[in-house]
Amino acid sequence: MATKSQEPVIGDGSLHIGDRVVYPNQGICRITGVETKHIAGQNWEVVTLSREEDGATVMVPKAKVMGIGLRKVADVAAIDRVFDELSTPNLDPQLDWKVRHRENADRMTGGGLFGTVEVLKGLHALSRVRPLPQKERELYDNARHLLVGEIAAAMNIPLHVAEDNLDYALWPPEGMTRKGKALPPATLGPPSPARSAADDLGFDDEELGAEETTATATTAAPAAAESNDDEEKKEEAAPTAKKAAAEKTKPAHKPEHAPTRREKPAPAAAKKAKPAHAPAKKPAAAKKAPARKPAPKAPARKPSAKRPVAKAKAKAKR
Amino acid sequence: MIRIVTLSEFPPDVIDFVTRRLHAAYGMGCEFEGEGEIPNAAMDDEQSAYDAVKAVDEMDDDVALYADDKILYLTAEPLTAPAGPMGRGPVDGYAQYGGGKAIATAHGISDRGVPLEIGLAKRAAHYVGHLWDLHHCFDPRCAMHPGWSPGFAAYPEVALCLFDREKSERKIKLGST
Repeated sequence: MATKSQEPVIGDGSLHIGDRVVYPNQGICRITGVETKHIAGQNWEVVTLSREEDGATVMVPKAKVMGIGLRKVADVAAIDRVFDELSTPNLDPQLDWKVRHRENADRMTGGGLFGTVEVLKGLHALSRVRPLPQKERELYDNARHLLVGEIAAAMNIPLHVAEDNLDYALWPPEGMTRKGKALPPATLGPPSPARSAADDLGFDDEELGAEETTATATTAAPAAAESNDDEEKKEEAAPTAKKAAAEKTKPAHKPEHAPTRREKPAPAAAKKAKPAHAPAKKPAAAKKAPARKPAPKAPARKPSAKRPVAKAKAKAKR
Repeated sequence: MIRIVTLSEFPPDVIDFVTRRLHAAYGMGCEFEGEGEIPNAAMDDEQSAYDAVKAVDEMDDDVALYADDKILYLTAEPLTAPAGPMGRGPVDGYAQYGGGKAIATAHGISDRGVPLEIGLAKRAAHYVGHLWDLHHCFDPRCAMHPGWSPGFAAYPEVALCLFDREKSERKIKLGST
C-alpha cells in the first residue's frame, strides 16, 4: 500500500511502472519509470518505456501519455474477439485507394487493437484480389508485426505460434474450425463469391496479364477491379512492371534456376520494361506539352523577321 | 552463415539441394554441419509428435555460432506446437523470431505431392526467413507463404517475393555489422 501511494500517476492512473503497454506503431513496450528531463530550458516529466523487441528507449511527456494512444496490452478476451473477427472472411475490400489510405492511416496512428486488425484484414482481402502497392505492402507487414507481437504478449505464447494462429484464421487449413464452426479452407484465387461483372471497374490489362502468367492456378472468379484513379495506377505501375520483368527472368518450371541474389538485373529490366507500360507513357506525353509552350513566342519572332531588313539597312549605310 | 543439422537420415543429394536453395534465397553461406538427435524431453504429452518449441529450446549441440549465424535443424519426425487461440493446426516447423535456431520437418511433404527435396527446401527457406524477422506473405509463390496453403504445392520455386527479399537483405546487412 505504501509503495503504491508513492508510485507516480501515469496517464489516467491505469498505468503503472513495470506494466506492458502498446505504443502505437512501435509495438510492445514496458514502462520503466518516470523521470524529469531538462530539455530546451524546461523541465519535462517524461515516462520512459523500453521497447521489448530491441530494447530501444522511448520517452513520452507525461501529459501526453493518453493522447498518443498508449494502452495496456489486450487481455485474452479481447484476443478471442480478434480471432472471431479475423476468421470472418472479408469479401468486400475497400477499392478506393484514397479512402483506404486515410482510413488505414487513422487506424494505425490510433493504435487500437481492432484498428490494426481491420487494417490487416482489409489489406489481406485486397491482396487476394490484386497485388498490393509497395506502401501498402509495408503497412500490411507492419500491421501483422504489431498484431503478432500483441497476441504473443497477451497469450504468453511464442511469436511464431501467434503468427501461425493468425494465419489459421486468415488462411484456414483444411478442417480448421472456430468455436465449432468449420472455416472454408484457403484457396489460391480470390475468395468466392466474387463481385459481379457489373462491378468490374477496369483492371489494367497488364496487371491481369501479370497475374495470369504467374498465378496459373488463379483461374477462379473474375477479380474485382479498382477505381478509376490514375494516381493509383501510377503508383502500381512500377512494382507491376518490376514483377513482370522479374517473372520474365525466371524460368517458369525450373526450380534449378530459382532466382538468386545475383540475378539482380531485375530492376534494370524493370526500367527497360517501363516505357512499354502504357500508363507510364501518358505522363511523359503530358509533360512534353508544356515544353512546346514556346509556341506563343511566335509573335516575338516578328521583330526577328525584320532583322534582315535592319541588316540590309546597315549594309546600305556602309 | 546458415548451418544445417540433421536430426533424421536424409539422402545427401537432398541436403545438398537444400543448402544450395538456401544460399540462393538468402545470398549467404549455407553448409551441412552434422547430425544430432531430438531430445526425448521434447516429446509432446500424447507421445505422438515432438513439440517443436521444446525441441528447439532444449536442443543440446556443439555447433559454434557467430553473430549472424543461424542453425536450422531438419527432421522427418512429426512436429506439434502449443495450442493457440485457434487451437492446433498443421505444424511443419518452428523458428525463434529474430533468433538463431529453427527446425523444419519433412513429415507430410510426400502427402502433398511435392518432391522431398523441393518441399524440404521450401520449408527450410520459410523457417530461416522467420529467423530474419520475416512474417508470412500473402504471395503464394513466396517461400514465406503459409506452408499449409495450396500455394506450397502449386509453386515449386524456392524463392522469396521482392518485398521479403529486400527486407531479409536489410536484416542480414544489419546483422553482419
